[in-house]
Formats: sequence, C-alpha cells, structure tokens
Amino acid sequence: MSSVNRVIRASNLKIGYSENEVLALINELEIQQGEIVSIVGESGIGKTTLLKTIANLIKPIKGTLETFEEEVVTVRGRVGFIPQKLGLIKHETVFANVMQGAICNQSIWRSIIGFHEQKTIDIVQEAIEQMNLSDKINEPVKRLSGGQQRRVAIARTIAQRPRLILADEFLSELDDNTANNVWNTMLEYVKADSITLVIVEHNVSRAKSAQRCFSMEKEQSSEQAILSEVEI
Amino acid sequence: MSEEKTFYVELMKFYRRSKYILFAIITIFLTWFIFVDLVDGDWGSLENSLENLSVFFHESLWPPNWKVLEAQSYPVCERNWEILCSTGYIGIMETLKIAFVATGFGFVLSLPIAVLASRNLYRDEIAIPFRLLLSAMRTLPSIIWAILFVIIIGFGPIAGVLAMTFYTIGYLGKLQYEAIEGLSKEPLEAARAMGLNNSEIALRVIIPECANNLISQILFMFEYNVRHGSVIGIVGAGGIGYYISTYLKFLQYDKVIALLIILFIVVVIIDLLSIKARSYFIDDSTFKTPYLFGNLFRGKK
Repeated sequence: MSSVNRVIRASNLKIGYSENEVLALINELEIQQGEIVSIVGESGIGKTTLLKTIANLIKPIKGTLETFEEEVVTVRGRVGFIPQKLGLIKHETVFANVMQGAICNQSIWRSIIGFHEQKTIDIVQEAIEQMNLSDKINEPVKRLSGGQQRRVAIARTIAQRPRLILADEFLSELDDNTANNVWNTMLEYVKADSITLVIVEHNVSRAKSAQRCFSMEKEQSSEQAILSEVEI
Repeated sequence: MSEEKTFYVELMKFYRRSKYILFAIITIFLTWFIFVDLVDGDWGSLENSLENLSVFFHESLWPPNWKVLEAQSYPVCERNWEILCSTGYIGIMETLKIAFVATGFGFVLSLPIAVLASRNLYRDEIAIPFRLLLSAMRTLPSIIWAILFVIIIGFGPIAGVLAMTFYTIGYLGKLQYEAIEGLSKEPLEAARAMGLNNSEIALRVIIPECANNLISQILFMFEYNVRHGSVIGIVGAGGIGYYISTYLKFLQYDKVIALLIILFIVVVIIDLLSIKARSYFIDDSTFKTPYLFGNLFRGKK
C-alpha cells in the first residue's frame, strides 16, 4: 500500500503525561485510509491518552507519531475527535453544535465573524438530516436523550468532513439497542466515504466488528502497557 | 501497648473530636486580643456612644426630610411632575445610568481579557500577565478610581462611569475567567482536535457554554455598581452620592437619610429583579414561576 494512504504511523512511541508517568508503549502502529480499527483494554491503561496523543491534544513523550505524514496536522478539520462525554455545547441548539464542525471548512475570519456561506449551512443541514435529527434542529442539546446526543456528536463530525475520526467510548452509557443503531449509522458513514475510524471500545462484540482490533495490556514485568494487534 | 502510647492515642482522639471547637475558641480569643490591641487602652471613647447615637438619630437624622423629592428651586422645573426635578430622582437616575453604562463597558472590555487570562486556553506565560492586570484593576476600590478620574477629567458622571468601568473590568474579569476555567474540558478538546484556534474556541465554545454564567455575572455586577454609586458620588463622580455629600457638608442629615432610604429601596428592587432574572440563567433551572418575594428568603426554587 502506498504511503499516501497511510493515516497514522507510530514507532517506539511512549505516551503519558510526563517522563515519570509513561502509560503505554507503542512499538509499531500503522493505520491506513478507510480502515476501521478498535482498541480494547482495561480502564486507566492509556487508551484515551493514545487517542488524545493522535489528536495532538497531548504531546508524545518519546518516539515518532505521524498523522497524515505530519507530526502536527496542519490542515484544519482533518481529524475529528469524539470524547467519551461527547464534548457538545449543552446550552446550544443542535444546529449550532453541528455548525461547530462545519466551520473547520471555512476561513477563520468567516468563522469568527459568524457569517457562514450557504454551502456551509447546507452541509450542516445535510449532516443533521443524515442523523435523522431534522425535527430537533432548534432544540438545545441538553433536552435531547443520550442516543440523540450521540447522533448530534456524529453529525458534528460528519459536517466537519474529516479523514480520520477518533472516538473514545462514545457509546458507553447507552442501552444495547440504541448503541447498535448509533454504531451502525457511524459504520455506514465511514465506509461510504472511506474515512479512517479509530474507536476505543469496551464492548468486545462491537470491537470485533471493526476490521482490525488492538489490545492494550500490561506485561507482568512492566509498569507500562503495550499495544498489540489481536486476531478477530 | 505502653502507657505513653495509650495516652498519645487518646490525645489524638480528643483532638479529632474537638478540633473545630478548639479552632473556634482560638479564633475568638485571637480576635479579642487584636481588638484590645487596636483600642490601646482608650476605652473611654466607647463610653456614651449609644447615648450619642440616640441623640444624633432623634435630633438630626429622623424624621427623613422628603423635600429631596420636591423640585429644586434652581433651575426652574419645566417638567409635568415636580418629582422629576428633585435631587432624589435626578441623583438616583444618574446613579442607575452610571452603573448601567459602566457595567456594559466593563463587560465588553473584561471578556477578551478574561479569555486571555484563562489557563485552560492559554499558556501561563500569556495568562498570568493578564491575571495580574485584572488583579491590579481590582486592587484599587472604585472610590480610589473615582478620585483619580475626578482629578484627571473633573467632577461629573463621566468620571463615575470611568471609575466604575475600571473596577468592573477587574472584578468581572476574575469571575469570567473562573467560569471559563470551570468549563468541562471535553468541548474544548473536541474543538482543538478539529483545528479551531483559540479565538474560534472562545466565540464558538466558551461564550455559548458560559452564557448563563456570564449573564448572571452581569446582573450581579450591575446591582453591585448601583450600590457603589453612592460611594463614588461622594468624591464628586456624579450620581446620588454627589447629593449625599453636599447635604453632609451642610449638616442636613435628615435629607441624607431620605436619600439613603431611596437608594436602599432601589437596591432592594434591583436585587429582587436580578435574583429573579438570574434564576432563569443559572444552569438547568426549571424556575419559571413568578415567585418574586419568596426568592429573597429561599433563593432559587
């Protein structure tokens, strides 16, 4: 596979919050365009830290990490991140939340002034329609159910048009039925546009529905966890 | 266990049980000793104080002189109602206007500074100087700012507006950056991962997410500025305080008490209205019932 399609490449990567607090070691990791990858592992082992490091929210302690062949992604909106608690603006409407994703694709000045192009507004409306939230477009997010809020988070990411989505246990706290619905919608979207999806997931069956699955585990002799690929 | 150890364990148990009482007793004694030190043996000055107060109250202060609500003899009143030309009305209206304008200017100017002073948005090298700036503006009370501006631009409401604006920036800025730092980090992380810069994050994430807090703080600040309107007026910076100060100079204490009663009534009304208005904006308040007077005693329902 050519390197143009490589979305994430990490080698000898140490992640954590400081030299004295290294959580995990990633010897080699390569994720290609369009792959759906899941990461499993027990709580507190460093899965979220890995996602945040890839999203450039935390600096790697040591080693190489490249996203889209760059150490720091310079193109706005290429990486979409869905935190565990979704990171929605609770007092704002569904439209405003989804718009937050779409403004990545317009100039900074336009986004600061708040004068959006018709094209951007169309993208937002389309993303909301895709998530079947058109009847809730002007509702404040805090009034929506857990499942609906997750769909808003996905709509925000869709409107962003990213090439890589990092989702951190965003289906937790949902009942199985709703979680499966939201998961299937997400899969349909990423497959259709060949978007790379990296998801941290506790639910083993859902994790196994990804194309590749990685496990983060501590070795007996080591304080740090190690990321290794597991057979699905 | 040796006797010594048993005694130590018992002592620690006693300490744990009674540490709050001990702390209260020590605080009371400490306060009393400092007070005695301040009085410095001059207890005579406290003698007859209650009697003096009683004489002052009955002979000079009470009853209030409500002529403050009648039109002034000069300039001639050309309005339909006399009260509109009275010192009481003119003073309180000017105080309200000064407080309103200063709160507005203060809010507009403090918000960008508060964003720059927030440590969850900017590095310490940027945030700390802006915090120091806000702290410096807050260190001088509004009366000192008023004295400065009266010296610089002369007597009148403009000095009052500027004095209050400066103090408002310092005070409101602190409340604002604390609200911003109290925000959940997840919306900020999602926005950062998207590639939004700090100005966009401030406009698109922080202001909408903090909006309720910001509105609540503005209302609080307006009410605070009205209360302080009487103080800054005393140094000539306009408002009802200007008239209070004039009547004090001429020993017309009955007029002073009348103006203070007017100010008190206005402050209570603003306080009640702002409690009511704030309750609409504080978090997920379900308070929508017009239960105005109950709020004074019970808070948000």
